[in-house]
Amino acid sequence: MIGILWGKIRLLFRKPGSFIVTTIICMVFAFFLGKSTYSEVKVPVYSSLPDAEVEEIVNELNKSESFKYVIETEETVKNKVADGTVEAGIELKAESYTLYQVGKTGNYHLINEQLNSFYSEKIRDNAVREQVGDSSDVMETLKKAKANPLFELSVSSFSDQNKWVHDPSLQSLFGFALFFSIYTVAFSVVEILREKQEGIWDRLILSPISKFGMYAGNLLYSLILGYVQIALIFLVFKYGAGVDFHGGFGKTLILIIPYLFTIIAMSIFIAGLVKTIGQFNALIPLISVSFAMLGGAYWPIEIVTSDILLTISKGIPITYGMEILKGVTVSGLSYSDVLLPISILLLMGVALMGVGIRLMESRHV
Amino acid sequence: MLEVFELTKRFKNKEAVKGINFYMEKGEIVGLLGPNGAGKSTTISMISSLVLPTTGDVRLRNESVLKKPEKIRKVLGVVPQDIALYMDLTARENLEFFGRIHKIKKNDLKKRIEEVLEIIGLKDREKDLVKTFSGGMKRRLNIGVALLHEPELIIMDEPTVGIDPQSRNYILETVKRLNEEKQITVLYTSHYMEEVEYLCDRIYIMDHGEVIASGTKDEIKSILSQEQTLVIQVEILKGEFLKGLEALPNIKNISVNDPILKIIVPKKVNILNEIFVLAGETNTNISSVQIETPTLEDVFLHLTGRQLRD
Repeated sequence: MIGILWGKIRLLFRKPGSFIVTTIICMVFAFFLGKSTYSEVKVPVYSSLPDAEVEEIVNELNKSESFKYVIETEETVKNKVADGTVEAGIELKAESYTLYQVGKTGNYHLINEQLNSFYSEKIRDNAVREQVGDSSDVMETLKKAKANPLFELSVSSFSDQNKWVHDPSLQSLFGFALFFSIYTVAFSVVEILREKQEGIWDRLILSPISKFGMYAGNLLYSLILGYVQIALIFLVFKYGAGVDFHGGFGKTLILIIPYLFTIIAMSIFIAGLVKTIGQFNALIPLISVSFAMLGGAYWPIEIVTSDILLTISKGIPITYGMEILKGVTVSGLSYSDVLLPISILLLMGVALMGVGIRLMESRHV
Repeated sequence: MLEVFELTKRFKNKEAVKGINFYMEKGEIVGLLGPNGAGKSTTISMISSLVLPTTGDVRLRNESVLKKPEKIRKVLGVVPQDIALYMDLTARENLEFFGRIHKIKKNDLKKRIEEVLEIIGLKDREKDLVKTFSGGMKRRLNIGVALLHEPELIIMDEPTVGIDPQSRNYILETVKRLNEEKQITVLYTSHYMEEVEYLCDRIYIMDHGEVIASGTKDEIKSILSQEQTLVIQVEILKGEFLKGLEALPNIKNISVNDPILKIIVPKKVNILNEIFVLAGETNTNISSVQIETPTLEDVFLHLTGRQLRD
């Protein structure tokens, strides 16, 4: 096994091009797309409420860093929406809002979510006010309590569509890292197929090394390669670009391992199914792009509303990879909190690996 | 040293090897001869424990190796037909990689790599990437890898396919030297008759999955001891002439490599007159006629009705 690792690493040093290029492309995509999502999106608003009240609402809404709400006239807002120069326009009312948009974009859900949350709180406050009348003491107490809460309740869940936390820079970073690692891992696993075709595998079979050692050496190399790539990307983003991992950086470095294991197993499974390397090379981009779209690597899975797509996403490793990584960072979850997606990944991995190796053994040697 | 009993391999609907038997003594070079598709590669895959036979047994020093393949793998070096090397590693790195796989100790490995590089004549190119090598050099390294762990038995599957005559001679000389100096037993498969004639003590001829003849070179040639080969070259080969030849009663076999015809006829029969008459009748101009003693190629032609490289 050590001998196989030695040979693979030699080959990597001799031809590091594809590894370096994939890593850089991943960083570029994650950086620019993360940044563009992160940069403030302007949302024009208008209202027939008194100016002071509108300003107060807009100030509250602007506390979020993702969107910049700007007060404009009704006509301007509607024109901008009609022209498509903005993603959405809002009419702010006392206890409700109207959202104008031409088509549903990713941001539509986020804006809607923010306004929903804001108005729910506003309506609740108004209800309290109505109950206590105009008692300034009660209102003062409520204000103080809000400013200095006894404890802060933070609700975050990826499975709950109604309440979720979004960090655009981490979404892009995790999404692209998981997506590009599929290429790195798959194209290292397919080397087994190439070695079988070239007769190198037969040479290994005839040597004292066991079949287990042969597979373990190759798969361990794929794991190391994928791990180094993702870890390198995370390190560059944390220490180079200053991306905030919300205290979960260490956990992400550990929890990418189950994801990589599943991707290796999936690659072995595909290698077992195909007859030629050409078929494998054609399948991998198809699978990885579909997985990235359905598993929430390109955009948050939480904005997907189709039940069919959400059901399909349950069978995709990226879904769980993203859930784990976002869980231990933006949501501050512990290891035990993400035990379910980890278990699902490991289960998928073991099943795919078992079937994949069996297929490869029966088909090729 | 090695015995093969009633070895058969069936793939779905096709029987690639049909109950063959053979043996090899220590220090022998045995040739396995046959055209493409004769079943040679399947046979050596079964002997080297890469493919499980459908029926039959392979015995190394009287012990079956089918259930314990590690026994034969320990003493076996295989030179595959394909260039089974890493093209992006140097010659030395390839040897080091396979040496590590064979668990050769670090100090011994260094020494063995030097020895092997000398044997295969690649000492001066040891640091060059394999992908920059000529076909002949790649084939030599392919052999070198199989020699690393000092095997007692080497199986070579057409090790000279597609290389220049100079490299081919170098490989043949290397095999002969290894056999003479180190007493390595060699099973050499080829469809080049002259290689097998030059190298091998005994020969097995395979066709359609069966051994159709076996023995020493002389024993096999004696199959045609009662026959001779006429090599006739014509200016333009005409169909009527060929048909006429086929109709002659004493002709046992005709192979055509336009404009050359090889005809096997009994030694005692003088058929030349009839051939010249036929040539006159069909307006065929004969450029030359040669009478040869049979070669292994002729034996193969006699046994199968085909040439080895058909």
